[in-house]
Amino acid sequence: MKKESIRLEAVNGVFRISLTVNGVKKNFAVKNNEFLLNALRRYGYKGAKKGCDTGDCGSCTVIFNGKPALACLIPAFTAHGAEITTIEGVGTVRNPHPLQEAFVEAGAVQCGFCIPGMILSSKHLLDVNPSPSEDDIKKYLDGNLCRCTGYVKQIQAVKMAAKKIKKA
Amino acid sequence: MPPIVVKPPTLQALWRSLPSFGGARRYLAGGTDLVAGANAAPAGVKARPKGGSFDRTEVWVDISGLKELRGIKETKTSLMIGAGAKIAELEASPLVRRWLPVLSAAIPHFASPSLRNMATIGGNAANASPCADAVCALCAEKAQVLLEFKGKRRKLALPALFKGPKKTVLRKDELIVAFEVPKWKHSGAYLKLGPRSYFGISKAAVAAALEMDGEKVRSVCIALASVAPVPLLAVKTANYLCGRMLNEENARTAAALVKTEVSPITDVRSEAGYRREMCGVLLERALNSIASGVSGIN
Ligand SMILES: Cc1cc2nc3c(=O)[nH]c(=O)nc-3n(C[C@H](O)[C@H](O)[C@H](O)COP(=O)(O)OP(=O)(O)OC[C@H]3O[C@@H](n4cnc5c(N)ncnc54)[C@H](O)[C@@H]3O)c2cc1C
Ligand code: FES
Ligand code: FES
Repeated sequence: MKKESIRLEAVNGVFRISLTVNGVKKNFAVKNNEFLLNALRRYGYKGAKKGCDTGDCGSCTVIFNGKPALACLIPAFTAHGAEITTIEGVGTVRNPHPLQEAFVEAGAVQCGFCIPGMILSSKHLLDVNPSPSEDDIKKYLDGNLCRCTGYVKQIQAVKMAAKKIKKA
Repeated sequence: MPPIVVKPPTLQALWRSLPSFGGARRYLAGGTDLVAGANAAPAGVKARPKGGSFDRTEVWVDISGLKELRGIKETKTSLMIGAGAKIAELEASPLVRRWLPVLSAAIPHFASPSLRNMATIGGNAANASPCADAVCALCAEKAQVLLEFKGKRRKLALPALFKGPKKTVLRKDELIVAFEVPKWKHSGAYLKLGPRSYFGISKAAVAAALEMDGEKVRSVCIALASVAPVPLLAVKTANYLCGRMLNEENARTAAALVKTEVSPITDVRSEAGYRREMCGVLLERALNSIASGVSGIN
């Protein structure tokens, strides 16, 4: 293990960072005043949404080194060396994740803006707690705001997904 | 945000490289306070350009790699909580659940699960907001805070860290390394009043830790958030309760007393008179809930 400090220096306001996104190694050039959310969207990961930019809505949620985090509050340069999962890494239209299937089947998606964040938070919940109670789900999705659905269907969807995953 | 970021792996590496950083520098832990300030602007005010409020020549020292700041350890008499511990780590810790009932009760009221994965306990203290939930709870737990600068350490009672809103007694480049929280057989409660039941900055919050001796109160510590320039210890109220029975009548008197100890202001979140009144209400509820044995350590 190297004991020296990591030093990143912006050249003309740009940091060069290496990170892993959805299992693929990437090099990003990020501005020194840029947040991870912007950087991800610029590099094509548009599933991460910008709702508030202040940490309040959860629509920018990504899995950052194994835990859900808010990309709008992460200075992009701190993602140097990080492993990130975005909604693009969870499933595809042809091969959706059980959570994505359940959200569609339960009718939990209206405009869809909050859904990538909802799915990523829910995915982490099910990874650490495969049989969450309704209360667990409500508490865990506390930071993911939805302006359309009223949350009832989404809670149902997470329960359905938990069953699907256990069966599989 | 800064043009240069340095991430030292150890305290030794930090202190060794500090002289080479030049002028202005700033510690970065979870970043949730540091950068949220740059993003948000009050309603009606044009948002500042991102990162624009920071000095362009500043060096940011990312302390999230410092191994000395990590983890939660148990000694014979206390828990040592590293300043770099994330709020979510405290939430998941059996040691915290076992020994720190006030902090355990406060954590569900701290922001949202994803924010708790990012925010550190050290940042919550260094940011010196009178609304800080984890800090308020730790004050009631009788925590001390350990500071270090170039290998020299000092230890303060946690409330003594705060001088005013966003002001601490931290010296230039001094780092919070840990919190030392005594193990004592107490019960606790944390009641927070905000715009909604979860996720929001409080209008007022009350943290109470209480140890009984049979029918009587042996030791009690009460801390309040958002109702004074700093996280406040209600010393007079605690003195009143000490040695008395924990019953509804004494809880009512304590509630009346605590209202004389706070100095709330009117701001965007609430109004001074309401806040003062709610301190009494929250304390009475907290004491009654402890009396009815809702939570605690046996
Ligand atoms: C949407 C949102 C909701 C929030 N809700 C709550 C809430 O409900 N309750 C609550 O209490 N807080 C809340 N906060 C505030 C914030 O998350 C906490 O105060 C957090 O604990 C700060 O920690 P951090 O690691 O992110 O600090 P940072 O932002 O990294 O640092 C904050 C300050 O402390 C300094 N610093 C950090 N660590 C150290 C150290 N070890 N030694 C010396 N200086 C240090 C930094 O230089 C900086 O000035 C919220 C924030 C946001 C954005
Ligand atoms: S855009 Fe990040 S929390 Fe709203
Ligand atoms: S579906 Fe529209 S915000 Fe949730």
